[in-house]
Amino acid sequence: MKKTAGVTGLFHDPDQVLKAAAEIRRAGYRKFDFHTPYPLHGLDDAMGVKRTVLPWISLGAGIVGAAVATHLQWWTGAVDYPLVIGGKPLFAFEPSIPIIFELTVLFCAIATVVGMFALNGLPRWFSKWQDDPHFVRSMDDAFVVTVDADDAQYDAGKTRTLLESLGAEQVREVEYEDQ
Amino acid sequence: MFTAQLDTQIKRVIVSLVVVIAVGAVSFYFLRHPSVMDVGYRPQQPVPFDHRLHAGELEISCVYCHTSVETSAHSTVPPTQTCMNCHVSVKRDSPKLELVRSSFENGTAIPWVRIHRLPEYAFFNHSRHVNAGIDCASCHGEVEKQGVIVQKEPLTMGWCLDCHRAPDEYVVPTREISGLDVDPALLSRAIPQGPTHCSACHH
Amino acid sequence: MKNVTDRHRQDSWDVEGGGSLAVSPDEIREPLFEGTPGLRDVTETVSGVVEGKPTKLWYATITLTSGLAAWGILTILYTVVTGIGVWGNNQPIGWAWDITNFVFWIGIGHAGTLISAILFLFRQKWRTAINRAAEAMTIFAVICALIFPIIHTGRPWVAVYWLLPLPNQMEMWVNFRSPLLWDVFAVSTYFTVSAMFWYVGLVPDMATLRNRAKNVFVKRIWTFVSLGWTGANRHWHRYEKAYLILAGISTPLVLSVHTIVSFDFAVSVIPGWHTTIFPPYFVAGAIFSGFGMVLTLMILARKLLNLEQFITRKHIENMNKVLMATGLMVGYAYGMEFFIAWYSGNPYERFVFINRAFGPYSWAYWTMVTCNVFIPQLFWFKNIRRNLIITWVISIFVNIGMWFERFVIIATSLHRDFLPSSWGYFIPTWVDVSIFAGTVGLFLTLFLLFAKYIPVLAISEVKGILPGSQPSHTHH
Repeated sequence: MKKTAGVTGLFHDPDQVLKAAAEIRRAGYRKFDFHTPYPLHGLDDAMGVKRTVLPWISLGAGIVGAAVATHLQWWTGAVDYPLVIGGKPLFAFEPSIPIIFELTVLFCAIATVVGMFALNGLPRWFSKWQDDPHFVRSMDDAFVVTVDADDAQYDAGKTRTLLESLGAEQVREVEYEDQ
Repeated sequence: MFTAQLDTQIKRVIVSLVVVIAVGAVSFYFLRHPSVMDVGYRPQQPVPFDHRLHAGELEISCVYCHTSVETSAHSTVPPTQTCMNCHVSVKRDSPKLELVRSSFENGTAIPWVRIHRLPEYAFFNHSRHVNAGIDCASCHGEVEKQGVIVQKEPLTMGWCLDCHRAPDEYVVPTREISGLDVDPALLSRAIPQGPTHCSACHH
Repeated sequence: MKNVTDRHRQDSWDVEGGGSLAVSPDEIREPLFEGTPGLRDVTETVSGVVEGKPTKLWYATITLTSGLAAWGILTILYTVVTGIGVWGNNQPIGWAWDITNFVFWIGIGHAGTLISAILFLFRQKWRTAINRAAEAMTIFAVICALIFPIIHTGRPWVAVYWLLPLPNQMEMWVNFRSPLLWDVFAVSTYFTVSAMFWYVGLVPDMATLRNRAKNVFVKRIWTFVSLGWTGANRHWHRYEKAYLILAGISTPLVLSVHTIVSFDFAVSVIPGWHTTIFPPYFVAGAIFSGFGMVLTLMILARKLLNLEQFITRKHIENMNKVLMATGLMVGYAYGMEFFIAWYSGNPYERFVFINRAFGPYSWAYWTMVTCNVFIPQLFWFKNIRRNLIITWVISIFVNIGMWFERFVIIATSLHRDFLPSSWGYFIPTWVDVSIFAGTVGLFLTLFLLFAKYIPVLAISEVKGILPGSQPSHTHH
């Protein structure tokens, strides 16, 4: 069954993209996005993208990593099998620092990467916009605006007119195959 | 890009693969443990010697045959001569004893199959253990109830350590049947912990 | 209205004088590109390498390098089956080529993360032209490095619980008080983080290749590995944040890795190893050797893959400056070690250093000093910093010199220990040589595969710093 994904259009000028993003937002749209070949500075603010929670995930994972490393070294060395090696204490903080540091970084890095993709809903090998013949240019040389049909403000005619008035080229309504 | 159905299918396949590989790897790692792979090893012996009969019914003590256990690191398997102490007169025509008789006449050893093995870099001393009041059954199980001898314990380093750390939980105190000559004073006290440093066993 | 996709209009900006054309510091500086490439040019140049057929030269080279790698793998198998007695290691030199090669490769692996993380935090835009290849080199170098300690354990199949805290039949744990174990954690963390960093950077570029692929099968592969990236700005927002966090944590990580490698030596009590200068000295040496290898390979790749437009002489010059700075640090450390050996008044310490420079291994010591300290002084001259052939030759010397540095540290400190009756001299066997040559072959094979099948330039990052590619009102 075919369903409407929404309206797409192409931009070529980064300045125009920023202006368009602010205008679309001002018109009350919330479910819209720009697909760009590289991150455009200032577009987040123009679109009103909320700051991501990702840094908190990274911080939390880093703390967990440090705690795991500390506990691992203390429990294995001083509790589970206390074995005197070279007359050194069973657990001391100083020689534990390297591994605490490494596991902090490791946990933090894994959480950052996994968290980033998870928050983005990736991997997802299907996009509602993939049947738009111009959509592929978003990873090449054009900035593709997409306004979602689910948006409360969405109206095929009005949305198209808005995008065209903002300077978008090749504005069209896109359908996708619903499963 | 793919269709929405294919997207779902790929994700299902990936999740299943991850689960299968993870479960497989963990099972492989832990199922190779000697407590799984070695415990229960009971090879067929060349002579159907039955400990239930000799030790159980006839109450011949362990040290009657395994003589060196109190004085040496090794507990020896008895020579054929020990068998023939009795079997010159008892059951002298039994077909089961054919190999014992030919061994005795020809002076060739009976090829007993060894069950309890430790790596050569682990030095286990039988006399040290049995003289501390630790019964044979602590490591070998109740041999007098075993028709065919079977490995009861994993004999891993971890298994040794379990007992060295908490002997109370594992040690069977010396029993009558073992025939061990242990100072009675030792039996009345709590068994002390064994050493857990490397050179206790690796030297 | 300017249009980044249109070269002619871009050229005409100079005449029109749009908002972005007010003179900014970037424009006073030497440009990072030759000419004025547009977005499409970046896509075409980089994807062109991946989509084109490999050249005869590529086939010839990879045949040679993979042959070498195969020979290395065979000799590794021979080592594992026979035991490490087939190496030249023996008392008193228990660590020899294996650990030398380990430290050598780990060192080479330091340029990638330095370029991708530290230069990113310092907003060094020139990094975008070389970071992808340098990160790839990091990963390949760490793979080569990891081979050596693993086979040095003698029985790699049980090394998993010798090296990692996994429950085992001994109910024993790895020794967390040993620097060798810190190294296990440092190197494996470094490998994992570098590989993730690299992959995250690759995802948008693989999406570009996905969108361009004509062959159905190739398209499916790119689709799968690019994870459905569409370049949505809400995704880029989290992506950039993740990239920044990764850069932030990789910066101390890259410094920690060679610090911890140096602890393998510094925490012991061997004269010549027990030195507090080791951590910074090793880190500087690692960056030095890493940049040496990046230059060796990138000068060739730039020529063979027609990337001159994006990797300019300015990039080469910048790398040469880093090379000279770290080379001077290494030279300082060489001198300071001698000073401290004299100043400490410790006769054993003094003996080791005099023996290092004038003993049986003096040939190795002076090779090291010549390659690492004397020759890079040529970079004081700007024409030499910008001369590709001389730079390439010097980078080879740096690679050689840094291998000798590790050999000198390990072999000269061990070969004459406290008891003269046990003094010895290390001679490598054919197996030692074969395994090292094999890892060189493996490294080059992986790099050749990378250079052909994976975008060698970070497409999206290069696009982001093209002139006029960013909105004019924001300053970056």
